[in-house]
Amino acid sequence: MKWTAHLERLRAHLRRLGGLLPREERRRTAQVAALVVLLAAVAAVPAVGISSDEAATLAAAEREASWWGGMLRSPLRAYGHVDAAFGPDAERPPLAKAAMGILHAAGTGLGASHLFSFRLAAFLGAAVLTALLSLLGAALADGAGALLAPALFWLAPRHFQQALVGSVDLPLATLWLATVYAYRSSLDPAIDRRGRRTAALACGLLFGAALATRRGAWLLLPVLLLHWALSNFRALRRLSWRERLTVLPSAFPAMAALGPPVVLATWPWLWRQTGPRLAGLLAPQLQPLSTTLAALALTVPAATLAAMAAGVALSAARVAAALRGRAAEVSLSDELLLLCNGLLPLLLAPSRSAPGAGGAGPWLPAAPFLALLAARALAWAGRLLWPARPWAATAAVASLALAPALWSVVHAHPFESAAFSAAAGGAGGAASLGASREPGGDAAAALLPALNEHAAPGVAVWFADLAPEAVRLYRRDGRLRPDLRAADGPEAADLAVHQPAGPRDREYRTWTVFGSARAVAGAYLDELPLVLIYARPGAWR
Amino acid sequence: MPPIDPDPSRRPGVPGRAAALWREARRHAREALRGWLARAGPELRRAASRAAQGARALVWPPTPERWAALLALAVGGLGLQALAFQARLSARLPAPLDWRAAAALLERDARPGDAVAIDPSWAERARVALPDRVAATPEAPLPVLAFPRYAAALEDLAGLRRIWLVSLPEAPGFREAVAADLAARAESVDGPQRLGALEMTRYDLRSPVLPLAFLPGRLATARVALGGEPCPDDGTGAIRCPGGVRLSRQVRQVGDQPRNCLLVEGPIAPTAPLEVEFPAVPLGRALRGHAGPVGAPEGPFSTRIGVGLAGEPLGAVDLAPGPPWQPFQLDTTIHAGRSGDLALSLVAAEGTRPLCLEAMTLP
Repeated sequence: MKWTAHLERLRAHLRRLGGLLPREERRRTAQVAALVVLLAAVAAVPAVGISSDEAATLAAAEREASWWGGMLRSPLRAYGHVDAAFGPDAERPPLAKAAMGILHAAGTGLGASHLFSFRLAAFLGAAVLTALLSLLGAALADGAGALLAPALFWLAPRHFQQALVGSVDLPLATLWLATVYAYRSSLDPAIDRRGRRTAALACGLLFGAALATRRGAWLLLPVLLLHWALSNFRALRRLSWRERLTVLPSAFPAMAALGPPVVLATWPWLWRQTGPRLAGLLAPQLQPLSTTLAALALTVPAATLAAMAAGVALSAARVAAALRGRAAEVSLSDELLLLCNGLLPLLLAPSRSAPGAGGAGPWLPAAPFLALLAARALAWAGRLLWPARPWAATAAVASLALAPALWSVVHAHPFESAAFSAAAGGAGGAASLGASREPGGDAAAALLPALNEHAAPGVAVWFADLAPEAVRLYRRDGRLRPDLRAADGPEAADLAVHQPAGPRDREYRTWTVFGSARAVAGAYLDELPLVLIYARPGAWR
Repeated sequence: MPPIDPDPSRRPGVPGRAAALWREARRHAREALRGWLARAGPELRRAASRAAQGARALVWPPTPERWAALLALAVGGLGLQALAFQARLSARLPAPLDWRAAAALLERDARPGDAVAIDPSWAERARVALPDRVAATPEAPLPVLAFPRYAAALEDLAGLRRIWLVSLPEAPGFREAVAADLAARAESVDGPQRLGALEMTRYDLRSPVLPLAFLPGRLATARVALGGEPCPDDGTGAIRCPGGVRLSRQVRQVGDQPRNCLLVEGPIAPTAPLEVEFPAVPLGRALRGHAGPVGAPEGPFSTRIGVGLAGEPLGAVDLAPGPPWQPFQLDTTIHAGRSGDLALSLVAAEGTRPLCLEAMTLP
C-alpha cells in the first residue's frame, strides 16, 4: 500500500476522533489542551519519585479509602474505627485523598502500578484545571487566551510537578478556580435567573469540596466577599448593614449553607468531637509573605512573571478606566474578581500542609488567575503591536516567554521540585544564594536502578530522608529489590541514602559510622547533588 | 627599582607578588580612566543626555502601543536571557570527564596532609568523583571540605599542610571568596590548572596547624568519670555513664558544618561533672579547641569546660549562646615540651542538645 493510502486512512481516523470533540471551538480547544496536559503527565510520571509529603498523603488515601469501603459493608463497625483511619492525617481534609484512594483501587484492579494509580487523580485534576483555564482564557482573550493561559501556568517546573504527584495543592487550585467560575456565573446578568441559581448552588458545593480538600480553602469566602464589596462599593455605601445583607448574592448563602455540610459529610473524623476538632482546624497558619514571594520569584520563569505582572497592571488600568467611566466595555466586576484571586491568595498563603520556601503550594491557588491575566496581556500586546496580524505578534512574544519555560521544565525533569529559574541561576545559583533545597526525598527514585544493580545481596539500606511509606510504595511497585532490608539508622545500615538538603546531621552520623565521607553514587541537577548514597566496604559492588 | 633583599626568607612569596602586581595594575587603570574622563567628559554628558531623551521618547507620552512594546521588550529580553542561560549552562558545568581528570591528578599528586576544598560549597559531586585516600599511602585520608569560607579565624584546617581547591569558576553564583581566603593563608600557590569546566589550584599553607595531640582521637585511652563514678566503654567505641550520659567520637553538624569532635550526650548536673582524662598528652604552647551544640542554633545553651593538667587546674572556658562553633585557647607555654595527663571537665550545662567538643595541643 502506498503512503498516500496510509495518510488517507490516518485522516479518516482523525476525522472520526474529531467527531468526539465538541463542535464549539472554545470547548474543543479546552479539551485538546486538557488532553495534551494529561498525556504529558502520563508520559513524564514514571521517573518522578515520591516525596515524604506525598508518601504520607498516599498512605492516608489508601487507609481512608479502605475505611469508606468498610463503611459501605458495615457502617457501625467502621464508625468505631474512624479515628484510626482519619486521625493520623487529620491535618489534611479527605476529599482529594478519597479520590486518590478510589482511583488507586480502580487502577490497580486494571493492572496499573500502585504509584501510577494513586497519581491518576493528579492527572485528571490537571486536565480539569487545564480545560477551565482554556475556557476562561478564551473568554478573556479569544483563541490566544485559550492556548496561552494553560501554557503559561504549566510551563514552570514546580507547577508541572503538581500534575505528576499526589498532592492536595493542585486539587485545591482546581476547585478554587471552579468555585470562582461558578460564583462569577451566579452574578452574570446574561444568564437567566434559573441558571444563576444553579450556578450559586454549584458555587456552594464546590466551595464545600474545596474546604474538604485543604484547610486554607476557607480564604475563598473572604476573597469573594471582598470582591463583591469592592465591585459594589458605591451602591453599598448608601445601604445599612441589614440592607447590605439583603442584597448579598445568592452564592454567599449557598457557600455558607453547603460548604460546612459537605465537609462534615465527607470527613468522618469530624463526626466525633465535632466542635473542638473544627475549632482546631479553623485556626489559620499563614506562610510569611516574604517567603512565598521569594519562592515565586526564584522558581517561576522570569518572562512568565513579567507577563503576569503586566497582566496585573493591565487589569488595574482597566479598573481605573472603568471607575473613571472611560471604558464602557470593561466589566469592573470581572477585573476585580481576577485581581482579588490573583493577588490575595499570595498575601494570605495558607501553609499548614504546604512545604516551606520551595514548594508551590502557598501560591498555587493564585497562579491560574495570574496565568489568565498574563495570557490576556500578551494577546493585548500582540493586537497593538501588529493590528493586521495580531496572532503573529502574540505568537512571537509568547514564544519568547514559553520556549525557555518549556526548556526549563524538560531540563529539570524528573527533579522539578528542586528546580529554580534562570534568573536565580538554576539549582546551583539558587544554592549559592542560600535558597532552601527541597528536602522531600523524591530525588531518591533516580538512584533506585543503581541501588538495585550495585547493592550486595541482602544488605540493609537506610533511606534517611524518605518516609517509610515511600519505601513501601517503591517495594510494592517492584522498583526496589525485595532482598534489600530496611534499616532505621546508620548503625544498622550497610548503605545509606541521603538528601544533602536542610539539616544534614543524619548524613554526618553516617560518615561517622561508615568511617568515610565518600559517596558511591549521586543524582544531580545542574551539578547540585540531590541525593547521595554512602556504603560500608563491600556493600556496593 | 627596589633594592635586592639579601635575606631570601624575607622576599615576598608568589601570592604577595601577585597582590602587588594587582595593586599596581589597578592604580594604572584608575589613572587612565580619570584622564580619559577628563578629556571625554563633555562629549559623554551629551551622549548620555541624547540617550535619556531617546529612552524618554520611547515611553512618553504613555500610549497603549508604547506600553505594549515595553511589555514585548521585557518578556522578550527575559526570555532570551533564559534561553541563553539554558543553552550555556551545560558548558559552564563540569562533565564526568573533567571530574575524572581531577581525580587522576589527585591520585598522582596528593600527599598525606592534603585535603580537597570545593567551591562552590554545594558542588559535592566531589564526594563521589574524587578519591578519599591518598593513593601512595592509602592509610592517609584525603578529606573533601565544603566550608563556605576558609579564613584562618574561621577554620583551623588542623592537620592539613596543602589544600587542593577544586572550583567551578563558570558555575552560576560562583564567588572568588574561597580562593582569596586560601591565598591569604598560602605561602605558595600552584595553579590554577584548567580541567574542562573545573579549575584546580594547590595552596601550600604558610602556617599549617599541626596538632601535637588531637584529643577526640585519644578517646579510646581516656579515663572518664561522671560525678566521680567511672564510666565504662560500651563495646562500640563509646563510653556510657550513669544517667544516660554518653561520650563518643563523631562527625556531627554544628551550625551548618560537619565537625569531627567528642560528642557529649545526656544531661550533666552541675553537682556531678563529667571528667575526661587523657593520659600522657604531649604539650606545646597552647591548648586550642572549639565547642558548640549539635544542630541549628536554637534555644538556651551554656556549658563550662574546665581544663586540668596532672591534677592542677589550667583554666576554664565558658560557652554561652553565640557563634555555633566557638573557639577557645589556653596558654600552656610553661608546660611546652612535656607530656602530662590532661583532663577536661564539663562542669555545667544548660539545654538538652548534645555538645560537640574538639580540642588539640599545639606546638
